[in-house]
Amino acid sequence: MGALEIINFYLVPGLVVGSIYALGAVGITLVFAILRYAHLAHGDLATLGAFLGLGLVTALGISPYLALTAVMALTAVVAVGIDRVFYDYLRERPKIVTVMASLGIALMVRAIVQMVWGVDSQTYTRGIVRPENWFGIRVRDRELITIVAMIVLVVALQLFLQRSKWGKAMRAMSDNPDLALLSGVDNGKVVTITWVIVGGLCAAAGLFLGLNFELKAMMGWSMLLPMFAAAILGGVGRVEGAVLGGLIVGVAEEMSTLFLPTEYKAATAFAILLLMLLVRPTGLLRGKVL
Amino acid sequence: MKPLLQMTDLHGGYGDANILHGVNLHVAPAEIVVIVGPNGAGKSTAMKAIFGLLKIRGGSVTVGGVDITGWEPNRIVEAGVCYVPQVDNVFREMTVHENLEMGAFLRSGDLSAAYDRVYGLFPDLKERRKALAGNLSGGQRQMVAMGRALMLEPKILLLDEPTAGLSPKYMEQIFQISRDVRDTGVAILLVEQHAKQALAFADRGYVLASGCNRHEGTGADLLADRDVADMFLGG
Repeated sequence: MGALEIINFYLVPGLVVGSIYALGAVGITLVFAILRYAHLAHGDLATLGAFLGLGLVTALGISPYLALTAVMALTAVVAVGIDRVFYDYLRERPKIVTVMASLGIALMVRAIVQMVWGVDSQTYTRGIVRPENWFGIRVRDRELITIVAMIVLVVALQLFLQRSKWGKAMRAMSDNPDLALLSGVDNGKVVTITWVIVGGLCAAAGLFLGLNFELKAMMGWSMLLPMFAAAILGGVGRVEGAVLGGLIVGVAEEMSTLFLPTEYKAATAFAILLLMLLVRPTGLLRGKVL
Repeated sequence: MKPLLQMTDLHGGYGDANILHGVNLHVAPAEIVVIVGPNGAGKSTAMKAIFGLLKIRGGSVTVGGVDITGWEPNRIVEAGVCYVPQVDNVFREMTVHENLEMGAFLRSGDLSAAYDRVYGLFPDLKERRKALAGNLSGGQRQMVAMGRALMLEPKILLLDEPTAGLSPKYMEQIFQISRDVRDTGVAILLVEQHAKQALAFADRGYVLASGCNRHEGTGADLLADRDVADMFLGG
């Protein structure tokens, strides 16, 4: 098999799915860093985003790309709401209680999606899209847009974290929460901003997953393990690490089908996760030790 | 002179038991006051009580005549009291300059005068302003912590064992900087393990024992006191 085949059949699809994992993993890593728990409803929040997108696409007849910002905003509102009603209430309790609660939220969100949109697979657009040919490398428009959108969103997030006052407050809260409070940072506001960002990223991940594959109620949940693997691989708390981790897990999953039956694709993320925890638990970019 | 900070008959502790059994102290504007005492005397606890970091069951703390007992930390910061904890007192993953920025979080408008003032007090920090605070030496990290607290231009600075674990050279430097800070009109209340050196440098001191006031007076008076010497200065 030539290099071009490897690129077309493994690397490109790997980078596309990796970009989707990256969007999710960045959110997971932010929740880990600032709120300090594993958010198990992350995948199902992405599912919700994807189906909210479907709702807008069918109701208004717009393209899914146009729906993206609206879906991100809507899911951000849902995420903040979930935090206010459930997680915030448990803030003083041991973190494992919130982790378990987030599992409950995951089931609840999924059930709502199933009640509203049914249990059958759906798509944003019908018909087969033929890939464009760039000097032998074949990429579909939606694949290119997925990768570019991920990069744009992550760069925007990094600029916010590095340059803005509240972005710095988020980093401070992740770094040393007590000292952030002593500096006068309003903890509640940081938590709200975090959920706005995390909800938006979840929705983007879900929408692009639905765009490149299909929409179904389990789509987000089955993405949870690779997203966590990506966040841990990159180093917990590291945004750029989560992106790197997402891309590696995505490409590794696709590449694994070269040697292993396709059914083992999902196990690749698990293998990477285990290996990383054994060899270098702080991740590639030295994240927090949990 | 009217005291800037006044703690009156304070009782309190972390859990159900009280650690402080009626502590009284005051700090005048632009004065360096040190709290010394044997281990477990409640020195750091008395300082944390000002910041509402423990349960207060009696007594009061006032700043400039305003009762701040039981206020939220961010309101106390706004009232002009800044606290430098003994450990974990910098943002390790942020640069020196960003640490100072976080110190000024509650301020808006032009901060260049505040940066100039802090970098003037700590020239070492100006050189290393782009370095991550976590990569600095212990002494420099203590300077970042003090600089961060000074960014709000507080009326009083609370330092919890600023010289713990530092070499004598850095200890002397921290004391010297504290005097410089005092000379800019900021009062300092500090807790010290190195009682002898601290009493020699402070304007006044309090000796606490078992959560109560034992002695108070000028640094020199306390150093000369037989009882104080016997208690913990090692004769």
